[in-house]
Amino acid sequence: MSRRAGALSTDKDVKRTVNVPLFRSLMDSLAEDRRWVILDLGKARPRTIDLLSRFRCRVDVADLEDVVVASLDQRDESATDPVESLQAMPQPERIDVTLTWDYLNYLSQPQITGLMTLIAKRSRPGAFAHALIGYSRSVMARRPGLLAPLDEGRLIDLSTGTPDRPATRYSTEDLDRCSPGFTIERIRLLTSGMQEYLFRLRPGGNSSG
Amino acid sequence: MFDKKDTSRGRPAQTPGSSGADRDSRPATPGRSGSTNAAIIGRSIKIDGTLSGDEDLRVEGQVSGTIRLPNHCLTIGKEGRIKADAYAKSMLIDGEVSGDLCSSENIRIRATAKIRGNVLAARVSLEEGAHFKGSIEMDPKSIDRALGKRQTQAVASDGGRSEPGKPAAKLANVEPAPPKSGAAQQTAGDKSLKAESTH
Repeated sequence: MSRRAGALSTDKDVKRTVNVPLFRSLMDSLAEDRRWVILDLGKARPRTIDLLSRFRCRVDVADLEDVVVASLDQRDESATDPVESLQAMPQPERIDVTLTWDYLNYLSQPQITGLMTLIAKRSRPGAFAHALIGYSRSVMARRPGLLAPLDEGRLIDLSTGTPDRPATRYSTEDLDRCSPGFTIERIRLLTSGMQEYLFRLRPGGNSSG
Repeated sequence: MFDKKDTSRGRPAQTPGSSGADRDSRPATPGRSGSTNAAIIGRSIKIDGTLSGDEDLRVEGQVSGTIRLPNHCLTIGKEGRIKADAYAKSMLIDGEVSGDLCSSENIRIRATAKIRGNVLAARVSLEEGAHFKGSIEMDPKSIDRALGKRQTQAVASDGGRSEPGKPAAKLANVEPAPPKSGAAQQTAGDKSLKAESTH
């Protein structure tokens, strides 16, 4: 890749970083010498591609950002539903890891259920899904997907505007209910006002697929 | 220098130095597109079919079908739109692509690019702002396997016509173009670029 992840240019950058231990443990597991299929729900970001290029993997980029925002703002009634958009994306190989970033915060509970059900159907037994859920702040950024990895254990917040969208602040119970097929394996509270979740596909959790 | 078999609609494709209206679509920066001597498919040109060749190519027009430049650089300029699977030694993408991209060396996806399809290359770089939806293969073993398979198939599909020691000019997983009649083939020097209609 043309740019190596991990470089922090200013103090401001440092303040915008957040340690993500569960993300780190996920990246650590990717070091195992086998092929991984990773689904990234967000945009293709140089930092993400750079980080993942260190592993034997294929990255499927769903680029749901615009679809999620359009759905949220209901600007366009004909806008594609995020679940339909992901459904339309070919998935020839079973998924090992799904990176949802902060996208679940921007979906309704039925949408999360639809999305996680689809991901479960397309995943390999024991597959992981990683998510960042806002828990303390009452507002969040206008758009999702403004987090990018600095390295295996740190993310940087790329948002520039003032957060002004009411936060959904889903609870663990909400997420558990909306993620059929998955169990919540680990949760970490982060200093950024987010909670880090690691889901794991239950045995038989993708059986309906 | 540029061989065409009755496939383009509109003006013929041009190479740098030829006269025409596409002068401003020439590669502006040496090295960026691999070569300032790249053949150019100008903005008003539309090609349906298979493009193969033995020189660098810059697309500012529209191409549907297949592009095969196994030993050269393919540049899709900002105005370029391809609805095609493409295989080249290296690629620089500024424009729109709907299809799969395969490179034996590297693929650079710039900020203005919009890609829907799959990317397979030994090295992939992507700039912030690029729109990409599809998969990026980053498993070296899978890449080697895919590229090796393509090379092997390319030799086979070339019918043994390739010179020993030189990579075959055609890729395998592409439908062979039907035989043509009455289409003159022109070459200049040791370079050639062919546009073959599949219709």
